Amino acid sequence: MLEISDLKVSYDRTEILRGVDLDLLRGDSLAIIGESGAGKTTLGLAVMGLLDARASGRILLDGKDILSLDERERRKMRGKEMAMVFQNVEDALDPLMTVYDQVEEAISTHLEKGDIQDVGDRVNGLLGSVGLKMEKGGSFPHQLSGGEKQRALIAMALANDPQVLILDEPTASLDAVSKADIIGLLRKRIREKIVLVITHDISTAAKLAERMAVLYAGRIVELGETKDLLENPRHPYTRGLIRSSPNMTTTKDLQGIPGRMVPGVPGCPFSDRCTQRIDRCRREVPKLTDAGGRMIACHRGGIVPLLELSGVRTSFGDFAAVDGVDLTLFEGETIALVGESGSGKTTLAKTVIGLFEHAEGEIRLEGEPLLRRDRDFYKKVQMIYQNPKESISHRMNVLDAVIEPLAVQKVGSPAERIEIVKRVLDEVELPPDDLFLKKYPHQISGGEAQRVAIARALVLNPKLLIADEPTSSLDASVQAKILKLLLNLQEKRGLAILFITHDIAIARKVSDRMAVMLRGKIVEEGTTGEVTTNPVHPYTMKLLEVAPDLAQKRDVSDFRGGPWSASEGYPLRAREL
Amino acid sequence: MHVNVWHEVAESNMGKAGLLLIGLMVALAVFAPILSPYSPREKTDAPAFSRPSEGHWLGTNDARQDIWTQLLYGARTSLSVGFGVALLSALISVLVGGTAAIFGGLYDRFWMRVVDASIAIPDVIVIILVAAYLRPNVLLMILLLSALSWPGGARVIRAQTLTLKERMHVSAARTFGAGWSHLLVRHIIPDLGPVLVAIMIQDARRAVFMEAGLSFLGISDPSMMSWGKMMQYARIFTYLEVWKWWLLPTGLALSLTLIGLSFTGYSLESALDPRLRDAEGHEGGI
Repeated sequence: MLEISDLKVSYDRTEILRGVDLDLLRGDSLAIIGESGAGKTTLGLAVMGLLDARASGRILLDGKDILSLDERERRKMRGKEMAMVFQNVEDALDPLMTVYDQVEEAISTHLEKGDIQDVGDRVNGLLGSVGLKMEKGGSFPHQLSGGEKQRALIAMALANDPQVLILDEPTASLDAVSKADIIGLLRKRIREKIVLVITHDISTAAKLAERMAVLYAGRIVELGETKDLLENPRHPYTRGLIRSSPNMTTTKDLQGIPGRMVPGVPGCPFSDRCTQRIDRCRREVPKLTDAGGRMIACHRGGIVPLLELSGVRTSFGDFAAVDGVDLTLFEGETIALVGESGSGKTTLAKTVIGLFEHAEGEIRLEGEPLLRRDRDFYKKVQMIYQNPKESISHRMNVLDAVIEPLAVQKVGSPAERIEIVKRVLDEVELPPDDLFLKKYPHQISGGEAQRVAIARALVLNPKLLIADEPTSSLDASVQAKILKLLLNLQEKRGLAILFITHDIAIARKVSDRMAVMLRGKIVEEGTTGEVTTNPVHPYTMKLLEVAPDLAQKRDVSDFRGGPWSASEGYPLRAREL
Repeated sequence: MHVNVWHEVAESNMGKAGLLLIGLMVALAVFAPILSPYSPREKTDAPAFSRPSEGHWLGTNDARQDIWTQLLYGARTSLSVGFGVALLSALISVLVGGTAAIFGGLYDRFWMRVVDASIAIPDVIVIILVAAYLRPNVLLMILLLSALSWPGGARVIRAQTLTLKERMHVSAARTFGAGWSHLLVRHIIPDLGPVLVAIMIQDARRAVFMEAGLSFLGISDPSMMSWGKMMQYARIFTYLEVWKWWLLPTGLALSLTLIGLSFTGYSLESALDPRLRDAEGHEGGI
């Protein structure tokens, strides 16, 4: 077994690994993911005993500490006990030796005297097992394709059947088909070993490893089962990584992570880029602790639930427009609330913001039950409306409108307020000049008016933005810009968005999770990719069928007009989160 | 929705005439000391009941006072009462009607029942009774008339506020954490503007008329200069020729003031109500 404890590595006083603890048993596969510079490769090299740096801590392989062994002993182990498939296929092979010779070299290095006769068979067997044909053995590296070189490298790493196998970016620079081949090959060959997959490619990591560790600035920030971790990332950095990785599972537009990784940040290494940091994050380093089957290093226990609704019911007389809704919205996340008109989406939104009173159930904001909506509540929660021009008084110019929340909340001096307004207008891509500030709603376009409304909602720096059909009165190109703006603001400010729309096509592009609402109830909820590709409730299926696409002809005769009219027999809330 | 109401009022003939008449009366009242060398109670050198002449444009009355001067200063009283009542009763209407609409519930029901009750009371009788007892001067007159004219306005303001309250920009302001005073001052009242002015003009018209009536009946402060009082005195001497330049001009001034207010009010109402608007001749537009 491989046991890494408190591993610290520094090059020239820059600490690259800042205390890594890992326990791996035979048969375990762990992917180390993270941005370039996070220390992934250093970790691999440390396990191989190839470090040329100051290191402390312990790396125990079957009781032997690799760090404290001398070079002669390490050399004995390297290639035999542990092997590494290196990152750069072009450089890792000797251009002057044939593939056969190189694999043979890997075997014979560790050969006891007198065992020479079967080496040839072993080399051919290895080349066959990695899918290289016999005649390729005589080729020089430059005569092989990238995929074939990768196979040769894998053959070399497997030559002595090592206990620990480290795969450093095993599929980088390969085309998609070769990548799939190599992944298939590796999956077969790495069973019964301790495997460390070092990659920034989450998709490769997901296919090769049972568990996944997210490395950030030399520390592991999250560690858990691959499937669980990818479906439900709990550390803000993990979520950021998934959001910025193009893949076919998530449908939301790509978003990045604000800022860049700087080594040596005091406190939590991610604190300078994190949108939910508190004072403590800048002072103390969070420990990697077990949080329900997942290891997370975060003072806030991972991404915090910002808004929690349980059993919320809003009625008008006898009619319950919102009828027992449970929903949790996390920090920096978008939930799209979809459904036809009259399904209670807007009522739910207005209940959250306090324009309607809820009759039953509980609303919690940042974990605190919401008993009374005072001024401070509206600093945290803001709303933008369907029709931007109506949501701004026609007697107010842009400055009056955007400054109003600041005046109501008595934020700053009048001069400071104007500064804040100008800064936020700039943020929503509007000209913060006097000419524009003096304009009235009827003098600006619908898109500009919605930006003004967004700016107005953002001046108080809220954590939750409720967007009620924010683009339905805008034409397509303006709509696209507004949606992009919202995504960018979310990335930058960690804004949680409750996005209300009847258009599932929009919801698919902007949301992390989707909740389908029907007659005041949420009938299906899940990650957006999952709900849109694999709907469970028939109503969701219908919404997806009638959703806009670019196909020219379609048989619409099956669709009857009018509201959804299936019998009540369907299971409501078919999918539990 | 951006109909420029004031522009439409100024464009219509009725509005023009109304504003002109009001302007004229205000000018007479304001510039009274310039327009006449006498003071209204001063005994002039001219004999009683003298005919209009260069020194006395409308002659003199039985007490040798200059009638033109009295007419000018009477305008001050009428207009003060008119504007005073308009402002005070509109203020009460907005406070009661506006808050009733915003708060709703029991508070709303309480005030609306008060309004119902006070509308049911025949206010002319009440005013006459109270005035006969108090002998009100200008200030007291304003208070008395306002106390009885706000309920009608409050009801209109409440209805209007109820619709304005549902406007999205008011909802938006609520979600900034704004209290009711902010909503009322920044969002509701600006949009109530035209309706409020219509109510104020109506209140002013009734107040001017009521003041003249009470003075005519002789139950206001005897020291108060008023058109109503002038008519009351002039009426005694109708057997003389003096009514032509005493009673007639006073009645005319009162009528013109009322007509001016009515015309302005009417044209404002037609600008506010699209159904009363001319098919053409307004810019309309959303």
